[in-house]
Amino acid sequence: MERAGVGIIEADLVMDAGPCERDIRSAARGNGIRFQNVSMSFGGNRGGHPTLAVDDFSLEVAENEFLVIVGPSGCGKSTLLAMAGGLTQPTTGRLSLGDEPIVKPGPDKAIVFQTFSLFPWMTVIDNIEFGMRLNGVSPAERQRRIDYYLPIIGLKGFEDHYPKQLSGGMQQRVAIARCLVLRPRLLLMDEPFAALDAQNRTVMQEELVRVWSAHRPTVIFVTHSVEEAVFLADRIVVMTRRPGRIKDVIDVRDTTGAQHWRAAPLDQVMRRSDFQDLRGRVWDLIRDEIVIE
Amino acid sequence: MNRRTTYLRVGQLGFGAVSLGVILFAWWQVTANGIVSEFLLPAPAAVFEAAQRLSAGYLGSSLTAHLVASLSVVLSGYIAAVLIGVPLGILMAWSRPVDIAMGPLVAILRPIPPPAWIPLAILWFGIDLPGKTFIVFVSSITPCLINAYVAIKEVPANLINAARMLGAGNASLLFRVAIPAGLPMIANGLRIALGSAWATVVAAELVVATAGFGFVIMSGYRNIESDIMAAGMIAVAVTGFIMNLLFREVEKRVIPWAEHE
Amino acid sequence: MAGVAAWILVWWGVVSVFKVPPEFLPSPWQVAKKILWLAANDIGEGKLWLHLGWSLLRFLSGFMLAMALGVPLGLLMGHFRPAREMLNPLFEMLRNVPPIAWAPFSLLWFGASFGSQAFVIFVAAFPPILMNTQQGVRLTDKGLISAARMLGAGSFTLLFEIGLPAAAPAVIAGLRIGLANGWLALVGAEIIAGPGALTGLGFLVLVGQQNLQATITIGAMALIGIIGASLDYALCRLEASVARGA
Repeated sequence: MERAGVGIIEADLVMDAGPCERDIRSAARGNGIRFQNVSMSFGGNRGGHPTLAVDDFSLEVAENEFLVIVGPSGCGKSTLLAMAGGLTQPTTGRLSLGDEPIVKPGPDKAIVFQTFSLFPWMTVIDNIEFGMRLNGVSPAERQRRIDYYLPIIGLKGFEDHYPKQLSGGMQQRVAIARCLVLRPRLLLMDEPFAALDAQNRTVMQEELVRVWSAHRPTVIFVTHSVEEAVFLADRIVVMTRRPGRIKDVIDVRDTTGAQHWRAAPLDQVMRRSDFQDLRGRVWDLIRDEIVIE
Repeated sequence: MNRRTTYLRVGQLGFGAVSLGVILFAWWQVTANGIVSEFLLPAPAAVFEAAQRLSAGYLGSSLTAHLVASLSVVLSGYIAAVLIGVPLGILMAWSRPVDIAMGPLVAILRPIPPPAWIPLAILWFGIDLPGKTFIVFVSSITPCLINAYVAIKEVPANLINAARMLGAGNASLLFRVAIPAGLPMIANGLRIALGSAWATVVAAELVVATAGFGFVIMSGYRNIESDIMAAGMIAVAVTGFIMNLLFREVEKRVIPWAEHE
Repeated sequence: MAGVAAWILVWWGVVSVFKVPPEFLPSPWQVAKKILWLAANDIGEGKLWLHLGWSLLRFLSGFMLAMALGVPLGLLMGHFRPAREMLNPLFEMLRNVPPIAWAPFSLLWFGASFGSQAFVIFVAAFPPILMNTQQGVRLTDKGLISAARMLGAGSFTLLFEIGLPAAAPAVIAGLRIGLANGWLALVGAEIIAGPGALTGLGFLVLVGQQNLQATITIGAMALIGIIGASLDYALCRLEASVARGA
């Protein structure tokens, strides 16, 4: 079923975006994201005590940056992502993308969900096309983008399959593709590979790097895998346990230098001693936050 | 289907044939030896003969005429129930004011079993097509409405979120996401409603009718012809079975992406 | 509750504004008065309590019988494959007959006053109870069964200490469906048995129609609805408490 690593197209193949009716990207305003004193609490409206999930979170993510948030279960990392995507509003504080506040979800802030969340009644092609249809992308342009991404994500030949006919790895490729075809300013990924087995996970991590490198949208990637974080990230944000606060921010580029290691295969990178040192450092930070419940 | 499941299927069919054979044999023996009076339980052969009498024409109507009498009532009431129940259920699930307004009415009417409407329907609309159509309508609107309501209410939040993320507005969310997502469950409601419509029309014909399978069974009872009663029941069962089968085939074609039993 | 009251007011309003004749659609007040009248006056064989009592008695007999046969047989069929394969084709075939279509035969076999209704209720309530119990046992978590066998459980222990508790939620769900089906069938059977019975809520519904007294028909329908809803509510509570325990 799984055709891993198919479609090796040069990652830096430059794609001519061309003029399209309503291009979602508005590069002029910048695609950085900013969290200002963001807090989030749940419940408490029926007499119970509200639970503080995220506490006073402030951070700036630069345009084109690949930011990874790691932390123990329940540290509010998925909540942060939902807020960045405009799906929920913070209790206090504000978020902005470029210089606009984030108030509602939309195709400029694409999200890849842990549970894939493909539409079961649509084929692979229809799933990928759906967002473009909603946003008035012309048929010709839709076709161009599909032709570009379909081989890259290794789904050529599966256009007319329904999601239930695909493996988990392939479903998540479709979910990533439906985001990328929208040319989002911000790509939000909520533990996207957590539901995959270890081998698929490695393949997908490497493919993500390749696909992302072509257009480099700003990425916020949430995971509980330290290894994934150290491999993919420009910067890693380590969260404390609930209520989630920033425990530390680690710039991976300080270790890798200008040539980031994610361009190389994961198994090679994992043998590097500086990778192992950094992984150990992040792991030590998280270890203190894990409580056995 | 692979070979192993083929063997399993054949095995099950074998078991089924044996057990049905045993039942048939017991039925035949019990009636042939006069253990049970033929007024109470007709012999298999008598039922077969009665079925032939029925298909040749019974009490002024041919088999087709009885079938058409029952089916026309089912279809008119059922289609009306689908056309009103499904949109209303969707609307109630999607819009809070509609839910608040219509919810209590549904709560009042839902616990009343469809057969309880038979006398009132006769009182209001008479014993002909309108009265029976009304009863069928009442019996099949509930599953249509409830399933549509629950289907829309239970569209997974992650699908709604995914669509919002892709830029879907309120109308797109309803028509392009929530309704397609709820379709398998809505279809299930339509299938239950069809079964309920069929059972109800038979019940109504048992009470009062001049044609239809329910009327055949009841006439058999009044004339002490238990073989006709049994033949009528078999006709009801076969028709119900075929309707269900047809529905499932259509469902598979229309909703190819859903998990089918 | 406020919404229910509002709709009853709407009913009242419609009846009084459009001057609907009471033999077609009486007002809620007239229906309520009629229910009180039925409680004090004989109709058929007796007062309201008698009709109520007969209906409940018929219902409980049929339903209890369905439960007493359906649950053990379902356990057996869920646990032993041969039993399942032998009996399922039979039930699959009988399932296509709407329970109410048994009413004439049951009149023939058991008479119009008690047995016929109880039998139809049994026929209506039995299949969901049987099928759900069977499914519940069959779908017991294989891990649980393996774990119990690893701990040394025999077939008997597996059925009664693992299968039965694991199937309990499914069994109760089946009882709920059986209850609703049975209540529906009761009313149908009482109407079909008709004047032969002279008792029961279904009889009252029918008598109202035959005497062009919509007040009686609608009053009896209201009682049927209320009792059916209460029975369902009771099983719903049971379901919730079992779910908590599981």
